[in-house]
Amino acid sequence: MSEVYAIVASFKNTPDLFHAAEKVRDAGFKKWDTYSSFPVHGMPEAQGQRRSKVPIFTFFGGITGFTLGTAMVWYMNAFDYPLIVGGMPFFSPVFPFPIMYELTILLAAFGTLGGMFITNLLPQHYSPLFNSAQFLEVSGDRLLIIIEAQDKQFDPVETKTFLESIGGFDIEEIED
Amino acid sequence: MHNQEEISKIQSVGLIALIVGVVGLLIGAFGLYSGLVSDDARPLISWLIGLTFWLSIALGLLFLTQIWYVFHARWPTIIRRQCEHCFSALPWIFLLFTPLLLIPFFHDNPGILWKWMNGSNVMPGGHGLIQDDPLFQWKSVYLNPIFFTVRAFLFFGVFIGLAYFLKKWSFDTDKTGDVENIHKARRLSSVGLFLLATASTLGAIDWFKSLDYHWFSTMYGVWFFAGSVRAALSTILIFCIIASAKGYLKGTFNQAHRYDLGCMMLAFTIFWTYISFSQYFLIHNANIPEETYWYNIREHNGDGVHNTWWVISMLLIFCNFLVPFFALLWYKTKIVIWRSVAVAVWILLFHIVDLYWNLVPGKVVDANASHGYYIRQFSVEIFDIAALIGVGGICIWAVCQSMLKAEPIPIKDPNVLKSLNHAE
Repeated sequence: MSEVYAIVASFKNTPDLFHAAEKVRDAGFKKWDTYSSFPVHGMPEAQGQRRSKVPIFTFFGGITGFTLGTAMVWYMNAFDYPLIVGGMPFFSPVFPFPIMYELTILLAAFGTLGGMFITNLLPQHYSPLFNSAQFLEVSGDRLLIIIEAQDKQFDPVETKTFLESIGGFDIEEIED
Repeated sequence: MHNQEEISKIQSVGLIALIVGVVGLLIGAFGLYSGLVSDDARPLISWLIGLTFWLSIALGLLFLTQIWYVFHARWPTIIRRQCEHCFSALPWIFLLFTPLLLIPFFHDNPGILWKWMNGSNVMPGGHGLIQDDPLFQWKSVYLNPIFFTVRAFLFFGVFIGLAYFLKKWSFDTDKTGDVENIHKARRLSSVGLFLLATASTLGAIDWFKSLDYHWFSTMYGVWFFAGSVRAALSTILIFCIIASAKGYLKGTFNQAHRYDLGCMMLAFTIFWTYISFSQYFLIHNANIPEETYWYNIREHNGDGVHNTWWVISMLLIFCNFLVPFFALLWYKTKIVIWRSVAVAVWILLFHIVDLYWNLVPGKVVDANASHGYYIRQFSVEIFDIAALIGVGGICIWAVCQSMLKAEPIPIKDPNVLKSLNHAE
């Protein structure tokens, strides 16, 4: 089965890649990405990406942990098996706080990890991009922009011309 | 260097601060005098609160500067220069602190503020004299007026000495471009952090904790450190935002700097809470009367009825922790200028409340009260405000004087470019 999955274009240097990314963003493409072996400051803005959603997962992980810790201590100490220890009340927010706090941190960390996997679409063992020799060179010195065929504005011919017009070279189709 | 317009702007801010400061200090000094005459500790505590607020900010900045040196942090290089300006407040704070140090030697009742300084003071609740208190007898090796005064000079010597050298070497680099200055500052910081941590911990024990000499806590020094650094971060954020809005740091202090300062404010908000809660938690679980009474008087009167400090305690939990914590979790709070300034002002405000909560409550001996004493309640006195504004005015004036002596950013520091180009 050989269907076009995406079109790849190489760029000469980082400023070229950066400005090309701004042009791709302004042309209204949605399903595309830039690839480089090092982080480029300001690239998320140049690509028009919104901030990561991971903090939301972290927050709700933390809230869950806090609630769980509180409920657990209340169930054990005040409901299921009330026991007087050192004259303390059966339940109070003070003495079990380390448990509430540790569970908050633990589940916030799990939330972060899980959120990172979910938002990055991981685990993903295969991607058609691996078929491209250029893509494999990204870990060396290649700078790429890849526009996927799933994008609504994608057109096998026009997208190629567009990438060429913004300074891309070695433009190739990647097959599924 | 600066242009003429900028110089005159800084000079006029300094002049206004000086005038306001002197007026505030005169009112505060009147309070100090009336307190000394009427043997009332409250106006003296006002003076102490005013000093402590500004001292804690200066010490926090001294901590931050050295931490940045030790970690070879490049991003805060331009902020470091503003910290160095703030160091100039330290000698003035010391000067304003000396009246309190002179009390034990020149007043009829040496123990007017720090009760233990006068052994013949009566303990609250009809337990005899302080000099007969076994706890005081054990502690008197450390807590005696002569050693106390010597220590105060030593601690301020450390503060002012570290500040002097760090500032001098950084300012010298502007002229000579000698990188060796930065290496020297880094070497001094790695020793200086230990010295400063020791001096500020013992200083907090001497000046604030010994107001209630009977009490024990091993967390107190860390509490002071946490609160100080938090207040310092808020102050330097406000300082830099104002300076960049007025053109002094325009284009050099950018969003990434604000964001990172905001992150550190969040971290130290959590740290302050962690320390304050741990102190409460350990004392609550151990349940030893010599320790728990300190929290008891901050919750209820002898009869178990909640007093004003209970409200302040709740405010500390909800407003000093929860509100800034949740606000600073949001990315927008850290990058939208007015929001970050609002949180910083909020934190500084509740830092003052935290100081009230730590310094003001105490058992005051009164033969007419039900148990022979009453608990000094929360109140905002005119002398508190006067001292806060007065000391602040002098500090801001000193900072303005320093700003006239150096470049706005350390132009020849090898890391300044990294700092200018700092990105998230």
